[in-house]
Amino acid sequence: MTSLEMPVIGAKWAIGFIALFHTSVGSLAIGFAFFVTVAQIAAFRTRNRSLDLLAKKVQLIHVCIYNIGTINAIGLVFLLSGLFPQFFGQIFVQFYWPLIVEEFLFFLLATTLTFHYFFWDRLWGHKKLHIFLGALLTPFFILQVYIINGLGAFMLTPGMGEAELTLRAGVLGWDRLGFYSPSFLMLNFHRGLANIAYGSFAVAGICGAMLYLVKRPRIKEFYEEGGRLAFYVAFAAFLSLPLVGYFYAHVLMGQANEAFVNLMWGRGDIVAGGIDWWWLKHIFVAAMLGLCLVYFYQADKAKAPFTLPAVMVWSVAIFYVLFYMAMGMVMTWAFFWWMLAVGAGGALLGRHLLGFHQGSGRGLYLLIGILSFMTVILGGYAREASRPRFVDRIAHYDQVFVPRERQPFLMVEVDPGQIPEAVPKPEPSGPQILIRRKCVGCHTLDRVKAYRGDWGTIVRQMEAYGLKLSHLESKAIVGLLESGQPY
Amino acid sequence: MDLPLIETPVAARWVWMEEVTYSHIPIATLITAFLVLAPIYEYIGYRWGDKRFDRLARSLVYFSMILYSPGAALGTGIPMFIIGLWPEFWHRWANLFFWPLIFQFIFFLTDVGFLFFGYYLPWDRMQNRKRLHIFFGVMTAVFGLLIQVVWDSLGGYMTTANTPLPMIDQPVGMSWTAFFNPSFPFLFFHRFFANISYTMLLTGGVLAIKHLRQKDPAEKAYFGWAGDLTFTVGLLTFFVLPFIGWGFARVLQDQAPVVFHSIMGGHASIFFLVKMGLIGLLLLLGAAYLFARHRSRFILWTSTLGLAGIYLVLHWHPALDLLPGGKPVWRAAYTVVIAGLLVLLWRIKGRTDPDRPWWKAAMLAVGLASFLAFALGGFVRERARQPWTVYEEIVKPEVLPLEADRWLVYDKCLGCHHQSPKDLARYAKKDWEDRVATERRRPGVRITDEEARRIVAFLKENYR
Repeated sequence: MTSLEMPVIGAKWAIGFIALFHTSVGSLAIGFAFFVTVAQIAAFRTRNRSLDLLAKKVQLIHVCIYNIGTINAIGLVFLLSGLFPQFFGQIFVQFYWPLIVEEFLFFLLATTLTFHYFFWDRLWGHKKLHIFLGALLTPFFILQVYIINGLGAFMLTPGMGEAELTLRAGVLGWDRLGFYSPSFLMLNFHRGLANIAYGSFAVAGICGAMLYLVKRPRIKEFYEEGGRLAFYVAFAAFLSLPLVGYFYAHVLMGQANEAFVNLMWGRGDIVAGGIDWWWLKHIFVAAMLGLCLVYFYQADKAKAPFTLPAVMVWSVAIFYVLFYMAMGMVMTWAFFWWMLAVGAGGALLGRHLLGFHQGSGRGLYLLIGILSFMTVILGGYAREASRPRFVDRIAHYDQVFVPRERQPFLMVEVDPGQIPEAVPKPEPSGPQILIRRKCVGCHTLDRVKAYRGDWGTIVRQMEAYGLKLSHLESKAIVGLLESGQPY
Repeated sequence: MDLPLIETPVAARWVWMEEVTYSHIPIATLITAFLVLAPIYEYIGYRWGDKRFDRLARSLVYFSMILYSPGAALGTGIPMFIIGLWPEFWHRWANLFFWPLIFQFIFFLTDVGFLFFGYYLPWDRMQNRKRLHIFFGVMTAVFGLLIQVVWDSLGGYMTTANTPLPMIDQPVGMSWTAFFNPSFPFLFFHRFFANISYTMLLTGGVLAIKHLRQKDPAEKAYFGWAGDLTFTVGLLTFFVLPFIGWGFARVLQDQAPVVFHSIMGGHASIFFLVKMGLIGLLLLLGAAYLFARHRSRFILWTSTLGLAGIYLVLHWHPALDLLPGGKPVWRAAYTVVIAGLLVLLWRIKGRTDPDRPWWKAAMLAVGLASFLAFALGGFVRERARQPWTVYEEIVKPEVLPLEADRWLVYDKCLGCHHQSPKDLARYAKKDWEDRVATERRRPGVRITDEEARRIVAFLKENYR
């Protein structure tokens, strides 16, 4: 054994568990920050103090979970340091300065959040200033997640990243090309909107749970109104998520084909315990769509505040039927039928819950809060599980790792500029480079490595699929593959 | 781990690290101390039926809550900075102490759970379940201290490393020997009492100013009482520190002699002396306030015994080379100073009004002096160890020849007939080549030619 191991669950699941725990809490914090600002502005504009009180209660929960999230982040750092030291050390060197900026934002966030909550009453006479202070949290959070997304996106779609240069030529702390990797933009959009939707659905879920517990009519009305506002904000953010997700998947198709195939066809770690977890996430999403649409339809009929006109509800419903039809054409019709059935089932369940609780959204709020939590967890899991182990992402990680003492530097004055540059590894040429360049146009090299059989036939088959090779190139590739030499 | 070295802009790497650490440590220590004392005050209030104690305890917890998020956020900055700037050290260290770090994370999570959901938030709702509430407070304090145990152990190892720092491909995860390294108990207890002392003195000073500014008589009376209580607790706690500090120094002398020499007359001694000066100020003003304010025999005699204890520590400590005339002059000087101080204190007892603004300002000055002394303590410890990141295990990559040569001189030339770096300055004739050559011939001395050249060069440069 050359590395530390986590008993029982193993290194991978230890990281996975803490990372998902952190993500679920961290995303909640972002959603809460946005919701608090919306609720405060609504309260200020309508002179409705109960919304301000709700905002304060949500901010208190935010303070609590913020600290839990911070501690989780530290746990993640410790786990990665011990279990994946080479990966972690290298990615830190590669993205050191963004991480330091992220750390600075972290401190700004913590301080702003603290001032915003603990000085709520003292700043009562300066409400606009107080709202502004709270509103700062959302851009701070977005910037913070922007940085983390840079690293996360790089791990999935390294694109033009200079990971190897980090060791060979010294990309010290800021790998711009790696940071702005192909999936960076879509990950930002998807996560940004998902966080707001998740946080606000969670507020609605809390309001739903409280509606079961409280008895006094005034307090019931307080949570009912809070739940409606939260649901409204959440749905606005949630609405475009499947679309953004579609484009995200499109980027993966081009830039992380193996991950894309794993997601779409249910391969690799996406299927665990006999369950396709990505499909399950989509089932929850479709159920949420059905629940939301029937909620707004009923709310509009009841002329409740914070609702959508019925015509818009129908428009959204038709749009999503068409969207799932398109998805069915791209993927499989089974996907379309499943989503349609679950969406309709969600709508029926929502209608039943609203009827059962005599128009109160309590059951629906609580259910959608839980479903929203599940989608965040499953989304994070699916993204990580779709990717082949990240040790394969950066070439140096799979090399034998031989640490070296720095003792000799004790005797000399070290000027990093004078440290001789490491000699770059010789670039492969000949059939090796042909295989690398030609085969990865359609699939990864893992598939080539896994294949055992008649290479001549296979290469001809690939040419039939559209691969352009000269006779000499074809011969060279077949020769190398048959010889079993590395490439 | 052969990763490239990241250079920092504006200031050197260690300055950045120092700043990040200093942004976190005062907050973390203050929270730890406040959360230890809050359930104690609450319990006293509960037993005596005195609501003021409950209010004070709640204020401490409220203030901790305000500081908790920024403190935790700054705390995350410490590993972030280390991982990027000293990746080899961090990953080898995390390899040796993987499980303590993971347990620290669990303690932290549990601590937040008790603090937020058991202690702070349900304070009003649990007025009728005070015992359970205090229990939650105690649990918060216990887990806070467990976090401190882990960090002090890991920090202690960096100065008194009694086991090798493993490479990354030599997984260890946990070494009890390294965890219970020789300086760990001293570092923990020194920090524990120092945290209580400096936070209470500082709180006492701040509350004294609040007392001064209050118009409402009831509030004025409360802040006067709270300021006096916290200040007294802080000063009485301080008297334990010289004993633990001396024990700590003895362990360093035995286990990390170069660190000891660096503090006692070496390159870190100037900071240590400033710290001692601040402590002198703290003792003078703080003890004077106690004698002016209190009639309680317990407080007065405890303070007297505390000062007598400092006399004992000075007696055990080798004579400081601050006064000409050697050991007798030094001994006579501190005997006269401490005896004079005691006489003065017993004479001013009850003869001055402690509610005068001057005394309140003095309390704040004592609080600030104690904080600065506390901050300098950590600085001295880290500076004395340079250029080693872990003593004799891993050296910082940006080490300068001056630091490397200084360490060599302290290591090879002190501890025998030279007790302190200052002893090297006493020679009238600076014939360093001859002296080093003579020393090399002594039995048991191992100095290579290269080392001898560096030692001579350093001595010529610094002891002309």
